[in-house]
Amino acid sequence: MKRQTKLTSQEQEQLSETQSQQTSAREFASAEEMLREDASQTVVPPAIAERLSQSIQNEPRPERSWWKRLLGS
Amino acid sequence: MSDSVVEQKRPNQPPFPLEPAEFAELYQTHSRAVYYLALRYLGDPQKAEDATHDVFLKVYRKLNEFRGESSLRTWLYRITINHCHNLRQSWHNRNLVTNADEAVWENTAARGDSPFRVLEIKELGERIQKALDGLTDEYRLLLLLVADKEMSYNEVATLTGQSADAVRGKLHRARKAFAVLFQQSESEVKT
Repeated sequence: MKRQTKLTSQEQEQLSETQSQQTSAREFASAEEMLREDASQTVVPPAIAERLSQSIQNEPRPERSWWKRLLGS
Repeated sequence: MSDSVVEQKRPNQPPFPLEPAEFAELYQTHSRAVYYLALRYLGDPQKAEDATHDVFLKVYRKLNEFRGESSLRTWLYRITINHCHNLRQSWHNRNLVTNADEAVWENTAARGDSPFRVLEIKELGERIQKALDGLTDEYRLLLLLVADKEMSYNEVATLTGQSADAVRGKLHRARKAFAVLFQQSESEVKT
């Protein structure tokens, strides 16, 4: 008997769905491992650095440290 | 900036405050950890963004007070925890969990030692947040701190004002509760 090698379109769809699930599914051994993965995927909003930079510019100039005053630098 | 750079400056009474480039490096190194802790502890991206800004501004102002008695990460976490704790108190947030809930967890066939499975990695953050939201502040904080590989049990114990043994005991219960809540979150996220 000749073996069928081609998949029907429905079978291809099912296979593709299964493969997609396999690639995105993940298993974690512990809560901590899962949290680490979540943290690694978390993107720090760039707006924070911009706001921080602005805020620091508005800060008063810090006093010279004692050792600089001592050395007169 | 890594801890070692800060600590290199420490022994000879360092030229703090840092140069802008050095502070930028410090931010680059630690901002994700601080933001993530704030995000998952507060459960709100906008509040986490504000908190991270405020924490690093405090760090900029107070860096000369860093004594090097703990790691820089621990010191940053201390500022972050205090800041987030104050925010939560000012919002009059209430814990969703009572002792009764804890008893339920203890008696549930929790899969604390079983693997956690997520079918869609994109839903991971949402499900984690839902599970964390159901925990007490203390359990949530312990899990988040211990998940950071840079933090030892002793450092977590110091940060949370208890012994390392107490941390281990509470972590056991926190993991179990988290597992139950994470399992429940599967159906909630799908609906």
